[in-house]
Amino acid sequence: MAQINPDFGKVLKEYGALDFNACYNCGNCTAVCSLSDEENSFPRKMIRLSVLGLEDELESSVDPWLCYYCGECSSTCPQETDPGELMMTLRRYLTSKYDWTGLASKLYTSKVWEFGTIILLAAVILVLFIFFHGPMTTQLTADGGVKLNTFAPWKQIEIGDWIMAALLAFFLLSNIFNMYLKIVRSKKDIKIPFSLYFTELWALILHFFTQKQFSKCDTELTGKKYTLSTYWIIHLFLMTSYVIMLIMIMVFLPWFQTDNIYEWWHPQRLLGYYATIGLTVGIVYFIIERIKKTSEKSKHSHVTDWTFLVLLFLTTISGILVHFFRIYGLPYATYYMYVFHLMALFPMLMIEVPFSKWSHLAYRPFAIYFNNLLLAAVGSKK
Amino acid sequence: MVESKEYDVLVIGGGIAGEEAALNLANIGYKVILVEKDLSIGGKMIHLSKVFPTLDCGACITTPKVSETARHPNIEIFTFSEVQDIEKHAENDFSATLIENPRYVTDDCTGCQICEEKCPVVVEDQYQWNLVGRKAVYVPFSIANPRIAVIDIENCSLCGLCEKVCPANAIDFSQVEKKSTIKIRSIIIATGFELFDPLLIPRYGYGKFKNVVTSMQMERQLVPTRPFNNVLRPMDGKMPDNIAYVLCAGSRDETVGNPICSQVCCMYSVKQAQLLMGALPMADVTIYYINIRAFGKGFCEFFQQAKGMGIEFIKGKAGLIKEKENGNLIILYEDIQQGNVKEAEHDLVVLSVGMLPNTDFTEIFKNSRVEQDLYNYVNKVDELCCPAKTNIDGVFVAGTSTGPLDIPDSILSAGAASAEAAGYLNGGVK
Repeated sequence: MAQINPDFGKVLKEYGALDFNACYNCGNCTAVCSLSDEENSFPRKMIRLSVLGLEDELESSVDPWLCYYCGECSSTCPQETDPGELMMTLRRYLTSKYDWTGLASKLYTSKVWEFGTIILLAAVILVLFIFFHGPMTTQLTADGGVKLNTFAPWKQIEIGDWIMAALLAFFLLSNIFNMYLKIVRSKKDIKIPFSLYFTELWALILHFFTQKQFSKCDTELTGKKYTLSTYWIIHLFLMTSYVIMLIMIMVFLPWFQTDNIYEWWHPQRLLGYYATIGLTVGIVYFIIERIKKTSEKSKHSHVTDWTFLVLLFLTTISGILVHFFRIYGLPYATYYMYVFHLMALFPMLMIEVPFSKWSHLAYRPFAIYFNNLLLAAVGSKK
Repeated sequence: MVESKEYDVLVIGGGIAGEEAALNLANIGYKVILVEKDLSIGGKMIHLSKVFPTLDCGACITTPKVSETARHPNIEIFTFSEVQDIEKHAENDFSATLIENPRYVTDDCTGCQICEEKCPVVVEDQYQWNLVGRKAVYVPFSIANPRIAVIDIENCSLCGLCEKVCPANAIDFSQVEKKSTIKIRSIIIATGFELFDPLLIPRYGYGKFKNVVTSMQMERQLVPTRPFNNVLRPMDGKMPDNIAYVLCAGSRDETVGNPICSQVCCMYSVKQAQLLMGALPMADVTIYYINIRAFGKGFCEFFQQAKGMGIEFIKGKAGLIKEKENGNLIILYEDIQQGNVKEAEHDLVVLSVGMLPNTDFTEIFKNSRVEQDLYNYVNKVDELCCPAKTNIDGVFVAGTSTGPLDIPDSILSAGAASAEAAGYLNGGVK
């Protein structure tokens, strides 16, 4: 038997939700939502569960991950309940529930933990560099570039990289497994044939690379299009840039962190420029959106939304500066900026990938995948 | 300076509440001036078909009252007129400017409507809620009081045909606005309400989809003096056989700035649905609601009766209305009882529009201001002891100027206002 928990609202408030108790259950939000259909009717269901405090049911829901926050439920809600913001809040809440370490919950609900962790992780990098950095030579390479690999040899950085990658993968994958248990395994009455796990896999890959779910947010209500809209393009640009950068740093570090200065058309430089431009444009765009509060989705900013954007911005800008300081032969500037770059990068990845916003990048396609599995299993898929 | 006329009470607004208040005071013996902005007294009620929950004929109740008001020796009526610059000099001593707008037709008019036949200009008829047309010279509606014509000078082509054919020589293009000062001892505000304009909810498609109409447009199709003598949908004149009512269109909705319940929409929709069952026996009628508020005496029974007649009630606010090529409409809604999104096709959608305050009363005072409540209606400063009292002593409020009310409650409120005004005139209430 489910037990009602009226105090659950207080828990959710810490993750950002507004006055969802004002809901009078008219169903307007569900009716105007272009993602909502016969099988998945939301967001009112999520509001109902939140009002009643049915945590188990919330934890096993995929709905918050299907929502891309077009904001139409919020702008038309007769009670100003802001269902869109509740869905965003639930994504934060679910992130903290999938995380078995409990860190995500602390990072979301406590500013002390959030900033403390950032400072601690940055300090770790600083201390490591203070004690283990290579010689700070002012000698330049034959091309006139800085000998960055003398100061921070890629071999050692790569070791750190792999340790970090292992940690990130461990946390993220275990969280996804936890998500799988909560969403799929909790529905004991649905038996999923083993073959379905493979036949439905395409959705996972497709949605991860295209963020295709966005296009479903095209709406008849305001005639707003998300397919090929500025928002969608910038989001995709930012996302692909981030993934390219992550792969280059994690897998191709020896090739990426080089002392050679290649021609401008070299893939190492082109990929780097694509990614840094993508990241900068994306971050600036989203920061402006959040400051101006232009759309429903940018109206409400949780503190973690800001730390995410700021850390990502610092990482990107410092990375770009390292590149230019290096090729224009400014040794000390390069070294200090490199340390600063890692001091921003390390907390950004350690906090955001398994415990916060970057994890959504993984949770969203997995949610669609799990949802398709369940739908296929009960045979009600369209 | 011409000596200004004196009255005991100024009643602003000639709807059912204004008439009731004026009659009560006139019957006690006070001299009443009734100022109506519109061309006829009778307010909104005179345009209604039946009233809930008794299904009595609305016009049959209101027209005797209108005539009684018009013929009462103690009541002087000014239609198509306004008051402005009301000033309070002392207790029982107010002055105001009365503005009489020109009708371009004198009181000699017999209402024969020969001019209407000849007039070449056709415009939308606001007294049929734009369902049909009228001429530029016209008698407002058949049961109007006074039943004299008016020239809609903005649309008039000044051809002079009406002047030629008028048997009573009542057309007078030389009329101008008349201003005079009146002295009064007390005031009753009965300016009533406005209907919500559904253009403010673009997702319901009113104004864009022809077969989305307001409840007032449906009401006009159900009255004895209805324009088509039948219920027809606007786009193609087809008799609808699957009609939907969308409740809370503009009520209980923060996004349009009207968070409160209009108190009448549920019941008038249930009433119209029942009348439709009679007018179109083969039609299906569906009512989409958030909550049915059947709180008055006999209301719940009336609602149950509608259910028994086969009217379908679906719990769920219509979220979005789409139009098909044939003019039929698709309503998207969440079926709250089942918890999932559904679509339903209807060939006519009626938006049950709510009530909004008529805020004209805020501009008629010169040096003071009538307080408004949270929702912009007249603020009742002492609701429990003196329900008609406003922030200005000697100024009382009646009917839907105080908030959304149904007809019996408006009349009750007018009774209270007239009693309090009488007390004030006798030096009682301060």
